Amino acid sequence: MTTAEPIPAQTLLDALLGAGVTDVVAVPDTHQRSLISLIQETGEIRFIQTTTEDEAVAVSAGLIVGGRKPILQIQHAGLYACVNNIRGVALDGEFPLVFLIGLLGRDVSKAPTENFGSMVRLAQPLLDSLSIPHHLLDGSDDVGLVDQAFDEATQRGGPVALLVGAETS
Amino acid sequence: MTRDSALDVLARRRGDEVVVSTMTALGPWRERAGTDRDLICVGFMGGASTLGLGVALARPDVPVWILDGDGSLSMQLGSLVTIANAAPAKFVHIVFHNGVYETSGAQPLPAEGRVSFAAMAEGAGYAKTVRFDDVEAFDAELDDLLDADGPVLIELITQPAGAFYQPGPPPTGRTKGALARNWPGVRDALAADPAS
Repeated sequence: MTTAEPIPAQTLLDALLGAGVTDVVAVPDTHQRSLISLIQETGEIRFIQTTTEDEAVAVSAGLIVGGRKPILQIQHAGLYACVNNIRGVALDGEFPLVFLIGLLGRDVSKAPTENFGSMVRLAQPLLDSLSIPHHLLDGSDDVGLVDQAFDEATQRGGPVALLVGAETS
Repeated sequence: MTRDSALDVLARRRGDEVVVSTMTALGPWRERAGTDRDLICVGFMGGASTLGLGVALARPDVPVWILDGDGSLSMQLGSLVTIANAAPAKFVHIVFHNGVYETSGAQPLPAEGRVSFAAMAEGAGYAKTVRFDDVEAFDAELDDLLDADGPVLIELITQPAGAFYQPGPPPTGRTKGALARNWPGVRDALAADPAS
């Protein structure tokens, strides 16, 4: 049984545009590469590339200070890499950052926490340990969560994570 | 050159810039020239320049200065590449190079004596880089550097100031962090003065 299906890049881009996202701050992610390509091709949302996820967190915070509405696009490995900046900027700094996190290599027939690979399996427990709300985007029916995530982040004054369950198409 | 003499030079030019400061420059800078456009980088060492980059990309009409440390920048050297790639035009990145991790007891920076942040920024693709060890020369050239197309990196060779960090008592209750208290005011100040 499949629990996650690919979301077309256009569907996700429409969701980002519908949520009023102005900038995608990203470290390239194999899992979401079709979305990255579409964002860069269309130019409807500014694409800002960083060399590390630490930088992506800080750049996004600065964009918010300047009045923009960014979203971070990273991979699960990047989540593990930038925990201190998430703590220092997003949690302690109370920035309403929304993350799109690709679960590269997920066995989509299983829930992430039931996967063998630690990259996929540990993402949700890590977010839980940081008290960061998270939601799975396991198909096109879930993209309404993008807009809701921004509302949730603003209301709580802190980060919210959206986990892209299957590779975008 | 001392840290404080360099800060005095910068403070005399303070206008409507957003200034992101970190580590040992933070307190002395805010005492000299703090305004409601001062952002602080506390608790995420190495993030000052990319926090400022975000502001610069959001508000290209507003000059952004970064008051960075050598140990801090060393923690996130890739940020030089990210900033060069983004190429913010009004972005001045000032690195206080005192050669030590001052707040933790003045342990020497790795490769101290050989490392050059100006050279690394030039290699990353900054529009202009320069290095000073004399405050008079820094003062004499600063106006031109502030007017130059960015990103500009200014490396200041300074003496350690003996700013050992002595933490206060641990927090005993839920209080807002320093950054959470700081950034909304900067956001509001910028929003009150929108780009024309």
